[in-house]
Amino acid sequence: MAEKKVSMKVFGMTCDDCVRTVSEGLRSSGARDVSVDLSSGMAHFIIDDAHTEPEKLLTIPAFSGNSHYKGQIRKVE
Amino acid sequence: MPEEYDLVILGRGAAAFSAAIKATELTSGQAKIAMIGVGPLGGTCVNVGCVPSKYLVEAAKSKFEGERQTYPGIIRNRGSLKFDLLIESLRSAVESERMEKYENVIKNYQNVRIFDGKAAFTDPYTVEVINGKDRQTISGFNFLLATGSSPVVPNIPGLPDAGYLTSNDIWGIDDLPDRLAIIGGGFIALELGQSFQRLGSKVTIIKEHNSISKTIDPEFQQAMIKSLEEDGVEFLTGTSVRSAKKSVSGKILTLWAGGKTLDREFDQILVSRGRKPNVSGLNLEKAGIEYSERGVKVDPYLMTSNDRIYAAGDVVDQAYQLETLAAREGSIAASNIYNPEKMKIELNSVPWAIFTEPQFASVGITESMAKKEGIKCTCRTLRIEDIPKGRILNAHNGLFRVIADPDSGKILGVEILAPYAAEMIMEGVHLIRNGAHLEDLVQATHVFPTVAEGIKLTGQSFFRDMSKMSCCME
Ligand SMILES: Cc1cc2nc3c(=O)[nH]c(=O)nc-3n(C[C@H](O)[C@H](O)[C@H](O)COP(=O)(O)OP(=O)(O)OC[C@H]3O[C@@H](n4cnc5c(N)ncnc54)[C@H](O)[C@@H]3O)c2cc1C
Repeated sequence: MAEKKVSMKVFGMTCDDCVRTVSEGLRSSGARDVSVDLSSGMAHFIIDDAHTEPEKLLTIPAFSGNSHYKGQIRKVE
Repeated sequence: MPEEYDLVILGRGAAAFSAAIKATELTSGQAKIAMIGVGPLGGTCVNVGCVPSKYLVEAAKSKFEGERQTYPGIIRNRGSLKFDLLIESLRSAVESERMEKYENVIKNYQNVRIFDGKAAFTDPYTVEVINGKDRQTISGFNFLLATGSSPVVPNIPGLPDAGYLTSNDIWGIDDLPDRLAIIGGGFIALELGQSFQRLGSKVTIIKEHNSISKTIDPEFQQAMIKSLEEDGVEFLTGTSVRSAKKSVSGKILTLWAGGKTLDREFDQILVSRGRKPNVSGLNLEKAGIEYSERGVKVDPYLMTSNDRIYAAGDVVDQAYQLETLAAREGSIAASNIYNPEKMKIELNSVPWAIFTEPQFASVGITESMAKKEGIKCTCRTLRIEDIPKGRILNAHNGLFRVIADPDSGKILGVEILAPYAAEMIMEGVHLIRNGAHLEDLVQATHVFPTVAEGIKLTGQSFFRDMSKMSCCME
């Protein structure tokens, strides 16, 4: 199992509720150790690349369809 | 430390503005955007392109319409012109359009910072903004190249000393030139040539090639040239300019045609030999961006060879240089930067027009393009005189052509040379975008009598001999 440390910029968050929605969205899609910072708009988390890929997380409900949050992968280690 | 931005846009024209606005919308105003450029905000279209040229075209048309004998019994007078007042009004129209659609608009976007200067890459994600002695370093996560294009000036001995104008600076003249030479014969040359002729200049269009554009079908080109000639414009085709020099009373061009040289004197020279993408000086190599003198290479999603850098507008290596396309591409590029679902740019349904009179407009493929690219097609052509409204208008030199797939009847292109062609071509856009067939075109009732009915009648002529049809025959 290969782990990847992902840094994602999240646009559209304005309050703690937004942070919660984005964090839960990421967690329910397989991310762990999720930390989301409202002021910088950065989310940091770990994924297991046997189960998902960083780009796939951009299409989870939290970031697609009518959601006003947009994610952008900034770094994968 | 360089200033950090989410999106750095090189350019402040149509493509740049639409990208900045779309990126702002998509990120709820949270993307920190830098927009870098030189010259007035809004770039080519509003300042030196579409807006002043169409203002001049319409003003010249208004003068001409007042003088032209259209119907028996209506007595026309030769209108007089105060060119200084007209050109001043053109400049203030440009100024207010720029204020309204660019300067005031950008004030609503607190997340966008405007930089004055030319940008050049120093590494893949950093540019230096150079404004005289000032240098500023800016870095970004994404970049958009939207640096537009500039007029091509051929290397003609003596031309810089003789003095010449391009579409960048012709708007600064205060006197109507008596004798205007236009070197080149593309759409800008035709629009400005006809307008200056109608305002009272004696215009000579000097072209090396006999055609206006390889993509416009020859019959349309000939009819367009005939219209301009009827207005008094002189065409010197198959003619090249060997040299230029100043004379006591103007500027002399030494021309070469059919093995002979000839000197002609003019008061002003307008160089209109096309536009080249602004790729030089950007240090694109440092960012790993592939380009050629034809522009920046992009994939159908407008991504360059560097996946964090996109390009939009005239700087892109593509068939068209259009305001609407630049703005659409800016928006698509921004969308592709922030949306996981990527959008493609569809060039086959992009309409374009030449605002001469009659106007030319086209969408999809032309017969010449189909032949060149080996696309199977069948087409029908009607003259403006075949359309009832064309006869009511006493119009001539007009043509309608519909190009279709010979097997399925799917419409592949529409080409119009007629009054209001630029407005009417939208019907062709919808036909092509929706994959419509000739049946769809002929089944739609059109308003009678309109010039637009010509598109439907041309569609009908695939099935019937139109000379045997009564009016509005369905
Ligand atoms: C006379 C004329 C008439 C036209 N008429 C029509 C028409 O009727 N309909 C139509 O659709 N189109 C028309 N066009 C074409 C249309 O104007 C262009 O296609 C459109 O303006 C291109 O927009 P753009 O954003 O790509 O580039 P531009 O508007 O040219 O903007 C380029 C920007 O890049 C900046 N720039 C350049 N170099 C650098 C650098 N090194 N660093 C940073 N910034 C830089 C410039 O400052 C400018 O802000 C006409 C053009 C002309 C010249």
